[in-house]
Amino acid sequence: MSIMQHNGGSVIAMVGKDCVAIASDLRLGVQSLSISSNFEKIFPVTERLYVGFPGLATDVTTLREVFRYRVNMYTIKEERAIEPTIFTQLVSSTLYERRFGPYFIEPVIAGLQKTPSGSYEPFIAATDLIGCINFAKDFVVAGTASEKLFGVAEGLWEPGLEPEDLFETISQTLMNAVDRDAFSGWGAIVHVITKDKVITRKLKGRMD
Amino acid sequence: MPDGSFSHPQQRQFNPYTENGGTILAIAGKDFSVIAGDTRQSEGYSIQTRYAPKVFRLTDRAVLAVNGFAADGNMFVKKVQQRLEWYRHAHAKDMPLGAIARLIQTMLYGRRFFPYYVYNILGGIEEDGTGAVYSFDPVGSYEREACRAAGAAQSLVQPFLDNQIYFKNQQAPAGQSHPLHLPLSDVLAIVIDSFTSATERHIEVGDGLEIYVVLTKGRPTQDLEGYRGVKELTTRPDGDRVFLIQRELKKD
Repeated sequence: MSIMQHNGGSVIAMVGKDCVAIASDLRLGVQSLSISSNFEKIFPVTERLYVGFPGLATDVTTLREVFRYRVNMYTIKEERAIEPTIFTQLVSSTLYERRFGPYFIEPVIAGLQKTPSGSYEPFIAATDLIGCINFAKDFVVAGTASEKLFGVAEGLWEPGLEPEDLFETISQTLMNAVDRDAFSGWGAIVHVITKDKVITRKLKGRMD
Repeated sequence: MPDGSFSHPQQRQFNPYTENGGTILAIAGKDFSVIAGDTRQSEGYSIQTRYAPKVFRLTDRAVLAVNGFAADGNMFVKKVQQRLEWYRHAHAKDMPLGAIARLIQTMLYGRRFFPYYVYNILGGIEEDGTGAVYSFDPVGSYEREACRAAGAAQSLVQPFLDNQIYFKNQQAPAGQSHPLHLPLSDVLAIVIDSFTSATERHIEVGDGLEIYVVLTKGRPTQDLEGYRGVKELTTRPDGDRVFLIQRELKKD
């Protein structure tokens, strides 16, 4: 098995009506041995922007710190919060710096992008481990259960979901996908990002 | 050098197997069974044909879907059909579904050390009139289930079916329980959604969709009437009935 599958774990993000959701499982393992059922892979970047790091656990921790540093530097220099599109480019270029010795992470980004008129529009993106960006209009998936996530999401997702419906859709997609994946599962966490608040819920699901 | 001398060690290899993509799926209802498969046949990134059936009517109450190595699949179906014909000649009736399942197991295990490289799903009507699905691995290990997906897009479709057929991760409303069997119209909708989803995200799935519906003896057919071009394939009156629905899938 490759390094990408070493610790297991999956992340998914979906677009809704004036909201986005990002969710992941909570497992950390070493091959088939499960170590922790409380390993979070999704981190807040700003109040309306979250990033998920499925992949090699050691790189999850490293990249979290790398991006905390780089986002802080950006915020100080520019004197404003980083926007999702800019952050996506930052992720891409940071990963491509390690083109020939990459971090084994496939980031998933979800947030609300400020428009010139002052409103917010949903934004999601994912990259591969060397920073090639996938801007999707519907949903993005990554991690050991990615094939399963694609299958279920393609069946359940529909455009224009309200926050509570989006929560149900992303939760069902994630849980049913990870239940068919030996390397993902052991609980899940879901963040639904709306204009004025972020709803975070931990899910139990099957703990086996 | 290939000069017949023994001065250089040589190796030759012949690989008797290939994978031909595609996906199959079957769902059992209370008094019906639905067995479906796409019709694309591919080898690597090339499409060999857009119409190669993977689902076959065996009797008026049994349908077999075969996925994996197409050459083995076709040969295996041919041999099963031959055995069923011999059974008809010997017993003057069609072999019951459970017996066909056991026959398939012994035929597959008979090739334990040079297997048919195929995943089989057998669907149809049991002798008691209930819908049934039997799924097999390439060497004959089998199980009766309510639903099963196999093939290239198994990993895309099976978790969706867990959710929509078995209601996994769903809580029933207070005081109620989830239905054990879904109505035919719901099952057909789920089958079609499964294949359009798989077609969207898997390159080896697409082109055409063949859905076989087996109805138990005397069951009304009104749920089938909404579908365009339903063909009846039943051979004998007053028994279980087989129908075929053909649909298009995206070709890219």
